[in-house]
Amino acid sequence: MPTTSISLVREHTEIVRPPRALWVTFELGRPLGIPDDAPFQRRVVKAALEMLARTDSPLIADYPEHVEGETDFTGWACPINLAPIQIDSLAAEIDRLAPWYDRAVGRRGRTTVGVSGLAMPAAGALVMRALDGALPPAQVLKEAIDDLRAYYLEAASAFPSPGSATTRKKWFWEETKLAQAVLALQPRLAASDDPQHKILANLTLIPATERHRLG
Amino acid sequence: MVKRLSDMPEVEANHLRRIECPTFDDTPALPGKPLNGRRVVLISTAGLHKRGDRPFRPGDGSYRVIPAETTAKELVMSHISVNFDRTGFQQDLNVVFPIDRLRELAAEGEVGSMASVHYSFMGAFPPAAAEPHAQHLAGLLKADKVDAALLVPV
Repeated sequence: MPTTSISLVREHTEIVRPPRALWVTFELGRPLGIPDDAPFQRRVVKAALEMLARTDSPLIADYPEHVEGETDFTGWACPINLAPIQIDSLAAEIDRLAPWYDRAVGRRGRTTVGVSGLAMPAAGALVMRALDGALPPAQVLKEAIDDLRAYYLEAASAFPSPGSATTRKKWFWEETKLAQAVLALQPRLAASDDPQHKILANLTLIPATERHRLG
Repeated sequence: MVKRLSDMPEVEANHLRRIECPTFDDTPALPGKPLNGRRVVLISTAGLHKRGDRPFRPGDGSYRVIPAETTAKELVMSHISVNFDRTGFQQDLNVVFPIDRLRELAAEGEVGSMASVHYSFMGAFPPAAAEPHAQHLAGLLKADKVDAALLVPV
């Protein structure tokens, strides 16, 4: 089967040596470059497909367009008060985000929440029970937390002044009770006898760039 | 802009450096028809699937089926890795899985046609776990008269 491909990590592609690869300098998670920019995405797709005419493999072509980092609003603060108040709970935080999540879904006509099959309050309750010591199977917990994370970030994208994706992720890790709960769960998962819990603790729960937040 | 691993934040670069990459002796860049005569399939490793399909799990080398008529709102992502951006996907499916771009190129005649079914793996698999699925898939692609695959990472 003739193949062509997009490469996000040139060093990996140089080792694997696929027959044809178009190397792009975009952020991991965005292989076509820019969301909602159809002409840009189309140029990337065409450049990758046009490499099918070449047979001088292994071939790595450098895509000439780059994406500059998003504008970062220094000092951006969440415009609605989601910071934990004295008596607060994860359940209350999830509830406060509901109208913003609904607004985001209304605008986009879709959501990426829905891997776990759980409603968000139930996913939050699962996380709280895990914190209380009742660790569910790793896969169940992973899907619930990934859904919650998508719910939070989709909600934040509909705030009145949403900032950039970068600032919203910073908000998530620095200001939400969910992130606090995830960080608090990590050592308990790491100490579990279940190897799947350990994988979650060490690899698939907290991004490498955020692990410095662990105690 | 990220150029090389050395331009990335150190923790992210170190994570990527630790990933073991398989090597292959041959790199078969097979010839074929001009693009406007080809039937093209999209194969993603983003861990995409229809809501309700089996989510991906650690070590899972299997694929999920994404029929060409699948709408963006039907698709979710259960990639096990947390080390890539998902907000782009939340905003626009096509920044990960350019199905609408491929559809447009086919409608305009730049691409011959698009496959009736597209596929997603979940990229954090050991190569050996995916190999039997990939070999089976190659046969299915031939049956769909596909003669070009665009492989898209995440």
